[in-house]
Amino acid sequence: MSGPAPASDEPELVERSRAGDRSAFEELVRRHADRLYAVVLRFVADADEAEDVTQEAFLRAWRSIGSFEGRSRFFTWIYRIGINEAKRRTERKSPARAFGSIEDGPIEEAPDWSEAPEFRAEQGDLRRVLEDAVRALPPEYRAPLILRDVEGLSTQEAAEVMELGEAAFKSRLHRARLAVRRAVDRYYLEGER
Amino acid sequence: MIRRLLQRRRYMREHRWTHAHLSDYVDDDLSPHERERVEEHVSICPHCTRVLRTLRRTLQSLMDLPAEPHPSVADGVIERLRRER
Repeated sequence: MSGPAPASDEPELVERSRAGDRSAFEELVRRHADRLYAVVLRFVADADEAEDVTQEAFLRAWRSIGSFEGRSRFFTWIYRIGINEAKRRTERKSPARAFGSIEDGPIEEAPDWSEAPEFRAEQGDLRRVLEDAVRALPPEYRAPLILRDVEGLSTQEAAEVMELGEAAFKSRLHRARLAVRRAVDRYYLEGER
Repeated sequence: MIRRLLQRRRYMREHRWTHAHLSDYVDDDLSPHERERVEEHVSICPHCTRVLRTLRRTLQSLMDLPAEPHPSVADGVIERLRRER
């Protein structure tokens, strides 16, 4: 899985939008708004706010479409605007916390739950654990994980959305993954007590 | 004694390196030599074995997280665009 497949007429729609054609831009909205909304909803966890962020992202994109040079795909650009807006709002609500110590502490001896038959994401409890763990990540770690592991973008695409080099992106992604894995560890440890 | 200390140091070096590269391993993003290095350490380290297995399972479950069903938001976006242009 990766980002949405570009329709062959997408570069033309972008070009027409750059020239001020509103109907062309509205077609881009129809193609990308729902997927951007889904990504943002994972990020902010509030349907109204996710919708507002999605609207704001497209509004900003329309206002600055003249500066979009088409070196990346349109969805990469609009995801970047949406994620940045979602991050800005999240950080305003809860200022960044230190993340340095995660996974660096002493090793907890949790059970190996990898083969547990009940380990299914659609199960209520576990789904909640995973979603809470993702939302507990600081925004700069949450975004790589959502883009790469939940939405299924390739590493290259997700790094481009984040405007990070691949090495920096992979480092954040790895730490985010370990943090979520550790949250499931804690869930199983508590279940054993 | 010195030999044991050196073995321990090597083990810890490999442990840290492996732990830092488990995502790359899962993503098949390592050279053949690096893959061997991970596999060699994992084969003798119960902690890394468990982390690797549970990390894989975590990633699989993240991919399986169902999306919240929602009505299309495109019309709302277009409406706001028309209002604020």
